[in-house]
Formats: sequence, C-alpha cells, structure tokens
Amino acid sequence: MIRLASLILILIGLYGVFSTRNVIKILVGVNIMELGVNIFIISIGFVNGGLAPILTSGSFSSALNFVDPLAQAIVLTSIVIGLGITTLGLVFARKIHVNYGTYDLSKIGGGSDD
Amino acid sequence: MINPVFMIAIPLGLAFISLIFKKASKWILVAGVTINVVMLFLLEWGSVAMGGFRIPYGIQLMLSSYSFTGLAVVNIMFFVILLISFDKVEKNSVVLLTALAGMNGMILTMDLFNLFVFMEITAISAYILSMKGKKPEHSFNYLVLGSIGGVIFLLGTIIFYAQTGTLNMAIISSPVQQSAFDFSSATLFIPFFLIFAGMAVEAKLIPFGGWVKGVYGNADRLTGPLFSSVYAAAILFAMGRVFGELFVLNETIVIIVVITGLITFAFGEAAAFRQTKMRRILLFSSIGQSGLAVIMLALGFYFPAVLLIVNNALSKFIMFTITGKLQESYGTENYKELKGAFYKNKMTGVAFSIAALSMAGLPLFFGFYAKLNVLTALFGGGNWFIPAVILIFAIVEGAYFIRLLISLWAPGKEGEYADAKHAVETRKLFKPISVAIIFMLSLVILAAGLFPDFAGKTITSGAKAPFTMSQLKGGE
Amino acid sequence: MRKIFTALFVVFFGIVLLLGISRTIPLTKYEDKIVPTSAGGAFIEKKVNITTENYKDYKDVIFGETRDAETGSANMVTSVVVNYRAFDTLGEITVLFLAAVGVSLLMGGSGKKKRLGKSGFILKTAAGILFPVMLITGIYIFTHGHLTPGGGFPGGSMIASSFLLLYLADEKFELKLKGFKVAEGVAGTLFIVIGAVGLMAGGYFLMNFLPTGTVGNLFSAGIVPIIYVLIGLKVGSEITGVLSDMMTVEVHE
Repeated sequence: MIRLASLILILIGLYGVFSTRNVIKILVGVNIMELGVNIFIISIGFVNGGLAPILTSGSFSSALNFVDPLAQAIVLTSIVIGLGITTLGLVFARKIHVNYGTYDLSKIGGGSDD
Repeated sequence: MINPVFMIAIPLGLAFISLIFKKASKWILVAGVTINVVMLFLLEWGSVAMGGFRIPYGIQLMLSSYSFTGLAVVNIMFFVILLISFDKVEKNSVVLLTALAGMNGMILTMDLFNLFVFMEITAISAYILSMKGKKPEHSFNYLVLGSIGGVIFLLGTIIFYAQTGTLNMAIISSPVQQSAFDFSSATLFIPFFLIFAGMAVEAKLIPFGGWVKGVYGNADRLTGPLFSSVYAAAILFAMGRVFGELFVLNETIVIIVVITGLITFAFGEAAAFRQTKMRRILLFSSIGQSGLAVIMLALGFYFPAVLLIVNNALSKFIMFTITGKLQESYGTENYKELKGAFYKNKMTGVAFSIAALSMAGLPLFFGFYAKLNVLTALFGGGNWFIPAVILIFAIVEGAYFIRLLISLWAPGKEGEYADAKHAVETRKLFKPISVAIIFMLSLVILAAGLFPDFAGKTITSGAKAPFTMSQLKGGE
Repeated sequence: MRKIFTALFVVFFGIVLLLGISRTIPLTKYEDKIVPTSAGGAFIEKKVNITTENYKDYKDVIFGETRDAETGSANMVTSVVVNYRAFDTLGEITVLFLAAVGVSLLMGGSGKKKRLGKSGFILKTAAGILFPVMLITGIYIFTHGHLTPGGGFPGGSMIASSFLLLYLADEKFELKLKGFKVAEGVAGTLFIVIGAVGLMAGGYFLMNFLPTGTVGNLFSAGIVPIIYVLIGLKVGSEITGVLSDMMTVEVHE
C-alpha cells in the first residue's frame, strides 16, 4: 500500500511542477517528488516482521530478521542530494526576485525572440 | 601504475583544499587539470573495487578501452578549454574542479546508484556555471528539469534493485541473473524506460531538452565550449555504458530510443536552419548531434558513435570559443551583422571554417569519416529508413553551416567585389598563442580527415563494447 | 488551461507507470525475509569472514561479544554507508559541498547587508538555554553514528540548527565564517586522505585499515567513527554557511 501511495506522491509532485508558474511552488513540487521517491525506496526494503537494522542489547544477534539496510543507505544519500538541489533552487529563486521583482515566471519575458 | 580512482579523487581533494587557500584557487585548478591529463596515460587498466569489497557488496570502477576514450576526450578538452578561456574562470575554480571529478566518475563507474550520484554532481556544477549568463530564470528551468530527470532515473534504478537485488550493471545483465529471476520483456520495459528518460534530460533529447535554448544561448567563452563538448561527451559516454550493459535485454526500448534520437536529430537540424544568432545555430546543432549519437549507441554501433562524439567535441569547442570571442569583441552574435569578420582574422577564420565544414560532413574532414561510418553501419544492418532521414537532414546541416561561413568571410553583398571596406571594422580577437592552439586543434580535424585509417585505429582501440562478466571477475 | 493539460498528462503517465510497475514488483505485498543473494541481504548475512562465499562459514555477530568483525559497527546502515558504499558517501558530501559553494558564490555580494526579522523575548531567553543542548546533542549523534541511529548527516544538521536558533534570536548575531570554511576544507581533505591511506595500506581506496574492535564499543569499527566525525563537522559548517548567506539581504538603494 505504501508503495502505491509513494508513487501517487511522485505523480502529485509532477503535477505540481508543471501546473504552476510560481517559482516557489515549483520547488515545492520537486521536493514532493523527491519525498515520494525516498518513501518508495524505503518500502522496497521492507520485510514482514522485520526489525530495525541495528544491533543493540535488545536485538543482539545478526541472525534475527532485519529490514534491508541498503535501501536505507540509498535514501540517506538521496535526501542529502535533494537538500543540495533545493538550496540551489532557492538561491536561483532569490536571484529571479532580485532581477525581476516577482516570483511569477509568466510575468518574466522569455528573452527569446527569433 | 596509478589507480583510476585518482582521476576522481585528486580533483575532488584539490577542490576541498582550495576552499582553505582561496587566493591560490586558480592555480590549484590548473594544477589539478594538468595532473589529470598526465595521469591519464599512467593508469592501471581493469576493474577496481572500492574499499576492497567485491561486487555485489561494493562499488566497482572499470577502466576499459571504452572508458579510456571517454576519459581522454573529457580531460584533454577540459584542459584545452581552460588554457584558452582562463580569464573567464573568475571565481568558479572550485566548481570546475568538482565538475571534472564528477564527469570522470560518470564515465568510470559500473554501479547504477554511483552513476546517479555522479550525474547529480555534474548537473549541479552545470547549474552553477550556467548562472554566469546572468539569466536566473534559465538556470532555474535547467535545475527543475534536471532534478526531475534525476528522480526518474533513481526510480528506475530502484525498480531494478527490487527485481534483482543488486545495483551493479554487470550483474543485472549477467546470464546468471537472467536464469535466477523471471525476466520477460514486459517486466523489463518500465525500469529501462525510466533510466533512459532520466539520462535523456541531460543528453538534450527532445522532448526533455527544453532547457538547452536558454542555457547554451547565454553561454560565454568558457561555459559554451564546456557544455557543448565536455559535458555532452560525458553524458553520451555514460549513456553508451548503460545501453551496452543493460539494454541488450529488451528490444522495445531500443525502438523507442531510436525514434527519440531520430526526432531529436531532425528537430535540431531543422531548427538550426532558421536561426540567425550563432550561439542558437550551434546549440541546435549540438542537440541534433546528440540525437544522432544516441541512435548509434542504442543500436550497438559503438565505433561510429565515438567518432561522432569526438568530432562534435573538437568542432563545437572551436566554434563556441570563437563565437564567444566574436560576441565579446563585436557585441553581437548575429551573423548577418558580422559580415567579413574573418576577412581580417584569417587564422581564426580558417580554424572556424575547418570545424564548421567538419560538422557539415564535407569530405577531407573528420566529420565526413564519422558520417560515413554511421551510414555504413546503418546500411550494413539492413536499415534504410534511418539513413535516409539522416541524409536529408545532413543536407540541411551543410546548408546552414555554409551559409554561416559565407557571411562571416565575405565582406560585401552578392555580386560585389570583396573589399576590406565592406567588412565589419577590425577588432582584435585572440592573442596569438590562443590562435595557435585553436588552429592546431583544427588541424587535428583536418589530419584525421585526410588520414582516416590512422584516426580510426586510434579510436578503435577505444570503442569496443563495454566489458564482459569474465573480465569483471578476473580483474579483481 | 495549463492545469487541465498538466492534469491529463500526469494521469495518463501515472496510469502507464503504475500498470508497468505493478507488473514488475508487487505493490501491496512484502517479502518475509530478505533474499539472501541480494546485496542488502548479504550485508546482514556477511558476518565475520569475507574471504569465503559459503554462507555456512559465517558466524553470527553478537552485540558486545564479537571481535574483529568485517565492519565492526553495530548499526548496519552505517556500515553500508561508510564502509561498503563509502564512495557514494564521498559523492554525497561533494553534492552538499557544491551546493554550499554555489550559494556563497551567488549570494555573496559586496553590497550593504541587512538582516531580517525581529525576535521576541521568549525566543531570546530560550535560545541561550537551548543552544548548548542542541549543540551537544548534535555532537553526540555524529560521534555515536556506529552505535545508534543517526550519523554524520543528522548530527551536522542539528549543529546547524543550533546556530540557526542563535541567528533567529538575535538579529545582530554574526558568525565569523572563516573558521567554518577552514573546518569544512580540512574535513573534506581528510576524508580523501583517509581513502588514499587505505589505498596504500591495503591496496583499495577507502579500505577499512584500522582494527575493528568489539561490536558495541565506542571505539570500534575502524575508520567509521572517524569518517562520521569528519562528515558531521563538514555538514554542520556547510549548512551554517548556507544559512548565514541566506539570512542577509543586499540593500539596493
């Protein structure tokens, strides 16, 4: 069920990116897409009745049934990459505002004649 | 013998160091790129495990003849671009070093997720460099499209992981894996398509390449050649790696890729014909060449594809650099206003002409040899529709390049005697040493065109199909 | 108009995607055990001895008892991130580094700067109490990355949040960022140096060359806690730098 929900999140994010002309809302849409992909990746690693993949005094042996740790490692990297992209996107949005005075892309001339 | 990981680790380490020594960062950049070019010829071939962990536990890098050609194109062109346009680097030396490391990583890696990470490194450096054009809305467009491409690529990778349990390209396509899991054509199509779509954004294919016009159209003398020859070569080599490793399993995806490539090629050449601004002409030509190379890679003809990529890298570098300089000196890039600009700068003009005629595919130039191989491979494969389309649009390509050259060389109107009076006023273009370097590179194009067998042998040793499973196991 | 077209396209694409994916992997059912031949399953199955492919030779890793395991880290995700796939982590910190460099390149102007926002009394007093707590918690999280959930990235983000609190509480607060930039550069260079030392000591880049001790101790797992400390410092100083660049605004008069 979670996999279905995360794929729907990706689609919602895709809709959000292309349906609006406000720069900040486009960035939010990209973030929702990345969120959906991250949840999808974690759900790939899940096993029924699995424990969190940490050895503690409670779950002390590696013979127990653990969830897939590789999927979580991938998500760690993916979250940080999403953070980097969002940061840069916000800086670009700020530059657009400084240059044109608005966050609305449709009010900016394309600059493309010919 | 040096471990290939240093091609990635040394630029990265130098980038971190130049954060501490800000004043010396330009020299650190030059040192880093020079070290990389020198190391290129001292590398140890074969596969390298990161951390000593065999696949499927660790990450593998692979230096085969294919990736060596890719590394050579990227690093040497980067070095030359840096030499000529060094004054345009300003404060971007850290970004440039990291971009070089990212591109080397893209070409060397054998792991899908590692490829994603290095693609994002390369893409983010491109976003930052594209801001030099002072148009944040185009860079923003690029960022959004690029990150959507990355998300889709990651989705495809994870579906492969869910099916096969590994992220390594060789294992996914190995016969052992095929028998262990039930692969039918339908189940393979979606992850393949997602991975292709994710890479197609960066590779400028239509309909994913909506960002190219803004970014390339505002590129200056450093970023123009960098984007069109170095970045383009890196993504195309990485795509060739993915196609060679993974896509052999499914035919439907090959059809879709070839159709996309064909539409891209046709669109690129047709759009370039209508432009009057030189950077626009060059960017649409780049889109077209990218589509053509993708067709070749998808069909498995690696040798013509590598010829196309090398020819594109050399020619676009020369043309973008000279266009950037014309833009700076004359303030315009409209070729109708630049009549006779080469009349006074003959060496530069000759170099530009060699590059343009090579792109157009005239005999005696390298581009002709590349196109000849493309057509031979296609006809030999029994195909006739694709070569027919290519030939039609090649005529269009030749037409607009020759039109461009005539305008830039001939000072007067048609029918008038060519006289220096009619030319645009003389401005100094390049320093003599830069002219020498550019001219020498154009001579490379000429020489490769005149002695095609020699060029062919040098590259053939570089363009064999990406490796086999036995090489991987043995090269540990 | 635009919204309708986009909605239609997304619905069409979504149906194709969902149908395609549902035929390749199950969307609602989960496995009962990790497939042993998958890379993830291997990380759990691989216990002490790596030179053999025979799973029967592997012994179980027991918390507090096993010595000299391959990774030695009690947190399996950490052993994947920092040991087995350390190269990906190198790429990841490069992405964050590049984003921070880009922000300082693009936002670092030379005009007069103005800080935004005024803060209330509660925030001002609470910040003084909360700041050391958040800072210490962040440091705790990244130094114990191999024993508890977390690691360098959440720890570094917490450090940056503690500085953000100071920024929000007092509008005249300015950090001297030179020290942060030096820390960031040094941490990154040390990461690559550790990798190169691994290459010289053991023949592979980023190999774990320190003894891995007993699973569950603070000083265990070889280079893993060292790398996580470096990552924590790097991430913390990078995000603080980004925050400081974004909190100031150029004044155009």
